[in-house]
Amino acid sequence: MARVNDPELTKRELHGVVAEMYDRMVKGEAPTMTLPVRTKNNIGFDKKLGVYKYGKKRSVRDASSLGSAKNLLRALHVVEFIEEMIKSGKSSTLREMYYISEGWGYGKFGSQNDSNNLAEDLEVITTCLREDFKLRPEEDGARMIGNLTLQEKNRKGEWMRINARDDVGDSGYGVPYNVEIEKIELLEHDVDFIMAIETGGMFDRLIENGFDEDYRCALLHLKGQPARSTRRILKRMNEEWGLPVVVFLDGDPWSFRIFASIAYGAIKTAHISEYLATPSASYLGITADDILAYDLPADELSKKDVEALNAELSDPRFADGWWQDQINMMLEINMKAEQQSLAKYGLDFVTDTYLPEKLGELGLA
Amino acid sequence: MNVYQISAANRDYKSNRCFSLLKMPLLNNLMQKEYFVQGPLSLGLWRTLNGEITMAIAEKMASNQKQIAISEFFEKNKHFLGFDSMPRSIITAVKESVDNSLDACEEARILPDIKIRLTKIEDKKDVIELMAEDNGPGIPEAAIGKVFGQLLFGSRFHAIRQSRGQQGIGITGVVMYSQLTTGKPTIVVSKIANETSAVSVKIGLDTRKNKAIKSEQDRIIWEDDDGVLKEHGVKVTCRMKAKYQRGKQSVYQYLRMTSIVNPHAAITFTDPDGEVHHWPRVTERLPTKVDAIKPHPHGIELGQLQRMLRESKESRMTVFLRANFSGVSMRAAKQLCEAAEVSEKAKPSTLKPDPIRNLIEAFQGERLCEGRIVKLLAPPINCLSPIEEMLIKKGLSKTIDSKFISTMTRAPSVSHGNPFQIEVGLIFGEGMVGDSHVEILRFANRVPLMYQQGGCLLTKAIEKVDWRQYGLEQAGGKGVPKGPAAILVHLASTNVQFTSEAKEALADNEIVFEETRKAMLEMGRGLRKHLEKKKKMAKTREKFELINDILPAIAAKSAAILGRPVPDLSGSITKIMNAIIAEEESVWNKETKQVDVKIIFYNYSSRARQYTLLTNWPEKSGAVMVGNERGGRKETTGIWAWKMETLNPGENAMIEYSLDGLEKGDWTETDVFFRGNQEVIGATKMDEKMLEEIRNQEEISRAAGIEIPDDDIIDEDEDTAPVAEGDNRQTTLFGGEA
Repeated sequence: MARVNDPELTKRELHGVVAEMYDRMVKGEAPTMTLPVRTKNNIGFDKKLGVYKYGKKRSVRDASSLGSAKNLLRALHVVEFIEEMIKSGKSSTLREMYYISEGWGYGKFGSQNDSNNLAEDLEVITTCLREDFKLRPEEDGARMIGNLTLQEKNRKGEWMRINARDDVGDSGYGVPYNVEIEKIELLEHDVDFIMAIETGGMFDRLIENGFDEDYRCALLHLKGQPARSTRRILKRMNEEWGLPVVVFLDGDPWSFRIFASIAYGAIKTAHISEYLATPSASYLGITADDILAYDLPADELSKKDVEALNAELSDPRFADGWWQDQINMMLEINMKAEQQSLAKYGLDFVTDTYLPEKLGELGLA
Repeated sequence: MNVYQISAANRDYKSNRCFSLLKMPLLNNLMQKEYFVQGPLSLGLWRTLNGEITMAIAEKMASNQKQIAISEFFEKNKHFLGFDSMPRSIITAVKESVDNSLDACEEARILPDIKIRLTKIEDKKDVIELMAEDNGPGIPEAAIGKVFGQLLFGSRFHAIRQSRGQQGIGITGVVMYSQLTTGKPTIVVSKIANETSAVSVKIGLDTRKNKAIKSEQDRIIWEDDDGVLKEHGVKVTCRMKAKYQRGKQSVYQYLRMTSIVNPHAAITFTDPDGEVHHWPRVTERLPTKVDAIKPHPHGIELGQLQRMLRESKESRMTVFLRANFSGVSMRAAKQLCEAAEVSEKAKPSTLKPDPIRNLIEAFQGERLCEGRIVKLLAPPINCLSPIEEMLIKKGLSKTIDSKFISTMTRAPSVSHGNPFQIEVGLIFGEGMVGDSHVEILRFANRVPLMYQQGGCLLTKAIEKVDWRQYGLEQAGGKGVPKGPAAILVHLASTNVQFTSEAKEALADNEIVFEETRKAMLEMGRGLRKHLEKKKKMAKTREKFELINDILPAIAAKSAAILGRPVPDLSGSITKIMNAIIAEEESVWNKETKQVDVKIIFYNYSSRARQYTLLTNWPEKSGAVMVGNERGGRKETTGIWAWKMETLNPGENAMIEYSLDGLEKGDWTETDVFFRGNQEVIGATKMDEKMLEEIRNQEEISRAAGIEIPDDDIIDEDEDTAPVAEGDNRQTTLFGGEA
């Protein structure tokens, strides 16, 4: 799903937030800000979009306590700041905004987390993206290797053509924070699927073993919980090129969450799931039954792991039978395993045996 | 360190505490046949108790013609004389000299300046030199030998009143201990005001003859460190086997505790490492002079009564009873005789053992007169000298750096004919250790109790209180609570009962226990109130910040972004606050030397409101309210009330006045109370019960002849809730920021 950046629309949406506060004060009431509840209890499957979105539950933040009043004031400063950036054609990182807020008096942020959350709040209310707000995250995007060709607009405003196999070194192509069409165009490819990988160690192992060439795929390093731009570019490649996406992660409750955020949408960004989620992505492994089937070296689940698994059992995104079975099985065997535990059978086991077998199940090898 | 004369009138009464001492096994052996022996009355000494024990023993020994070495007696009994271990010995030695200095200064009405210096003697293991100096009236040359060198020298000073001298052995014990452990004499320098030079003398002991051995006696010019001529005072220097330790049981802790309950004293301590600790004087007020009282029939025992009867000069029983006891009216005297089946006309000195026993039974209420227990008046309470709330507060705040102090002095009470009074103080807040047990500071008659904390009545009373409800941690609601706090307990009594002769812990006594526990509860309520108030005020401050700073900023910024006019905020403010708020400020005014109190009362609710506001002020400590232009009226001691005008939504009103007659730091927080329906943030709903208790307390004090400010008390004509009968001995308690 492509989207167009419209500064006027962004401004109008932001003014809506300000007008809500203003109108309440004119009526002699405490100013308020109304926003969707952002918990797993307020996300539901959107059949039309095929992803999880926020439901109808709204929470009202009003200025009756000092904390929330300050939050409203901060929101106003942020709105003003965004308008200035749009006007001057600049952008800023969230961290920069946090420091700029030093000059905002009572509207100063208490922590970096405050500024991140507020940017998200505004996105959720206005349904704009933070890219529209000219706000950038700190986190860097993923690395990619494979026979893909795209063009990226550089700082001079010129388009640069890049092949993610021939024009890059061993570290691959670095995905920038903005992967929208004004910044990146997908040109052509010669692969059969894309494999997203959780750990750098495994990513490098597959490159060293020449897996991308042997199995005609592109490899993408997620770097743990994937950044928005990582999820966004996966989504675009899946949609625009029609490439299947398989996800190769550790076998633990946290990996399940990473997969859910790639395939179904993350709870925190459910307002933009349709731009970020790739519903057709498949979970390759490591699954709970892999631990048994391959007799992998495994660790016992910690208390937190068990809590996370139990929380997932009631998460609507894991409601289908396959996931319920996997989660319950993991709880039952009380074990988790890392991707790299496959090295038990030698360095080539993953590329020679495990992945071909797993891909075979999906009909990709 | 000083001597004072004792009037002959005191000779006739042996106090019960002396009596109880005589029940010690050791002394019993010596004194089976007779309880008391008359001895020559000589100069009074600083101390009372030891004189009493030891003299009684000496007299007994003399009468038995036994040549017991007194040093042997000392050796055998050093565990309860305080010299049983080396760390303990140095504390005892310091304690003896300091207690004596304080007593002497108090008697002579001098503000004490006490200097203690401990020095380790080089090349000698465990030998410490003690130098103790005071600015007391001094000891006349002729008396020095007896005061310092005669272990059994003692006064017949056994009047019934509160005194420090109920613990320890006296300075002579220190002299003896020094001599026994190092062989060195004690050097005494003393100067009295009407002599130009001081006397300096070395005192040793002839333990067989029980006499001082004086040497190198000389008259000297005594100057202090700055070369200023010393007017009067005593300096004692002695060397003894001892070990200096730090911690809970140390000279430092003893002096620190002493300074807390003696805020009128300045104490300087130089420890063996050369570090100087100074506890300044925080008040110019000396402790109240106490009068001696006659014994009360409820507190007398058989032997004592026997002796009093034998020694009496009165011709009739009724006269004897009235003249020698407190609390006995003519009617009561007659009834006691009737109950005891003793003739009113009987000559007291010839009374036989059986009637004497009857009389005791009548005293105890075991024998009735016309089917009733003979009613006796309570003993007078002017024999007690409490430290008083304000001074405890000052004493605590000078030694412990913390924010909140709550203190209370209970009204005097009586247990078995002995007047006593409980005082407590609680200090709480930052700067104190939070995760360990609170520090317990125990005192009896202004003397620190440092040992056997767990076995002490005062500790037990603290442990019995559920401190969790007052904001302190306590496992299972029992035991010593935890938290950043220290609790002070002081028992002032004419007869302090200890668990053992070591005099380290107070013995169980139901009445004293109950008084202590009640004092703790009341103080705990003060703490809870303080914590709640702090929380509420923090919330109020937030709200004010919200409406004064944040909301206007929101209005301005949103208007600017939208390009519209800034909206009027009065409606939003009322909606957000939805409260009635009292803001209080009590500030020391350097120029006027007064505390300026300002209370602003806001109505941020959506309706018009009308309230009566009340505040407290330390009237009992002599503060006078000035510049109170709003008028109002006095509710009771220390409580003033104003009927406020009706305030419309968004309006506020102000009360301003100043407090005269206080010192800086005396009053830093005023409690605001209200009468009205809606809660007021920053004020407490007037507890009419508490008000009634204050009035009752006044009544008690009035009845006891204690002077209280005699303003008219106007009854509240409205809003007054029906008052339940409460415990009429409750005093109020107002905590404040220190």
